[in-house]
Amino acid sequence: MLEITDLRVAYGGVEALHGISLKVEEGELVTILGANGAGKTTTLMAVSGLVRPRTGEIRFNGERLDSLPSHEVVARGVTQAPEGRRVFGPMTVEENLRLGAFTRKGPVPPRLLRRVFELFPRLEERRGQMAGTLSGGEQQMLAIGRALMAEPKLLLLDEPSLGLAPLLVRSIFETVKNINRSGVTVVLVEQNARAALKLAGRGYVLDVGRLVLEDLSVNLLNNPQVKDAYLGG
Amino acid sequence: MDFFIQQFCNGLTTGGIYALIALGYTMVYGVMKLINFAHGELFTLGAFLGYLLLVTLGLAGAVGPALGLALSIVTVSGLVAAAGHLLERVAYRPLRNSDRLAAVVSALGASIFLQNAIMIVWGSQYRAYSARLLPAVSLDVLGQPIPLIRILVFAAAAALMLLLWLFINRTRTGLAIRAAAIDQGAARLMGIDVSRVIAVVFVIGPALGGLAGLMAGLLYGQINFNMGQLYGLKAFTAAIIGGIGNIQGAMIGGLLLGLLESLGAAYVSVAWKDAITFVVLIMILVVRPTGLLPERVAEKL
Repeated sequence: MLEITDLRVAYGGVEALHGISLKVEEGELVTILGANGAGKTTTLMAVSGLVRPRTGEIRFNGERLDSLPSHEVVARGVTQAPEGRRVFGPMTVEENLRLGAFTRKGPVPPRLLRRVFELFPRLEERRGQMAGTLSGGEQQMLAIGRALMAEPKLLLLDEPSLGLAPLLVRSIFETVKNINRSGVTVVLVEQNARAALKLAGRGYVLDVGRLVLEDLSVNLLNNPQVKDAYLGG
Repeated sequence: MDFFIQQFCNGLTTGGIYALIALGYTMVYGVMKLINFAHGELFTLGAFLGYLLLVTLGLAGAVGPALGLALSIVTVSGLVAAAGHLLERVAYRPLRNSDRLAAVVSALGASIFLQNAIMIVWGSQYRAYSARLLPAVSLDVLGQPIPLIRILVFAAAAALMLLLWLFINRTRTGLAIRAAAIDQGAARLMGIDVSRVIAVVFVIGPALGGLAGLMAGLLYGQINFNMGQLYGLKAFTAAIIGGIGNIQGAMIGGLLLGLLESLGAAYVSVAWKDAITFVVLIMILVVRPTGLLPERVAEKL
């Protein structure tokens, strides 16, 4: 479904990704692990069309994404809940969700809102509240819910656990699993490697802009190198 | 009291003009984080296009004042909007991905270019809107005679602001503009075509600014190629007072500045009229640089 080949991205003169390749099949839940600055966010931003690759290809169901403007990428069914959530603070929860469905023509069908509210009942309670006044966990729910409003085929999640209490992380990861089961392919970028590997079928490990490992999650969980570097020994 | 009512009405009218110009600054700043220094010149262009239609071509005399004004409003807003769109294409779009400073320099260059172009076409001397364009009648407001033109200008400014408010808050494109102003990257992740949003902003802002120029010409009777500098600076001040990037803020800031100026001139000294504006600008920048209605609420991380 998603195929990235030899992707190189540079910010100014500094190359952040030195040619990575990865593949995600339809229906999979794949995680990308790595420390700060490994290039995880850059990879997702390149898929979403917010940064332009220097070389390499990004294909989605065979079609090149790397030369499309970002709104065309969304229109093809690839959405993202970005790092730091980036909800629209001075807008209400409902306005944020409606923005998620921006690429749809015509009015937003109520069933889309209903689906998000079923996944995150808290958002329904707070639908008229300004997004900036939500707690971190609620903002994360909103960011994910917003990304679902476009009915994506591929959902990109960038560090959904960042700054959240462990209990909340578990609940959000549970929801991510349910979203994946409902037929949405998911790429999950995480620093919380153990939790991400328990959720995902396969994983890739990035280190300073290079792909260093790819394997099934079970194998990565038992890989001594991964244990050492990412699972805290 | 009578004097106060007169001055208050004057202030509202001038303030309405400031607010219309301020909206152009604030909308562009909101989406692009750029001060469009050429915006004051688009205001001047509106004033001169109005002059061309109403005085040079004698439109009001030919079809009557009401129809003449209506036609001028449509033509001026359309032509200045086209000029604004062209400005964005030529001066800003090529620099979208370059340094912020480059865009600022380009904005200043565009301002100088437009000002001189207007001077070459219409000359450097003052031009007069003839006093007989509109019937010289006054209407009674709280027992005070207020000239019709003042009432018309204020009513038009208020109507335009209401329309803009509805557009921003009730339409899909308005929602996209608000989202792009809050977080351009996140707006793109929602599938919003930010280039289109910028193009729309560069049509609406100049249209409003151009109409403000037409109103200023009708209200004060004389126009000049560099009138946009002072008006631009005052409207910019109004946008800062309201919180730059905030649309309601620009409306309130414009009206507030008009009132301050008018009442200050009346009760302090006419000589201090312009100084009052800049004292306010400096005070706001020192005490509350985010303006009265700051655009961003603190966001939790």
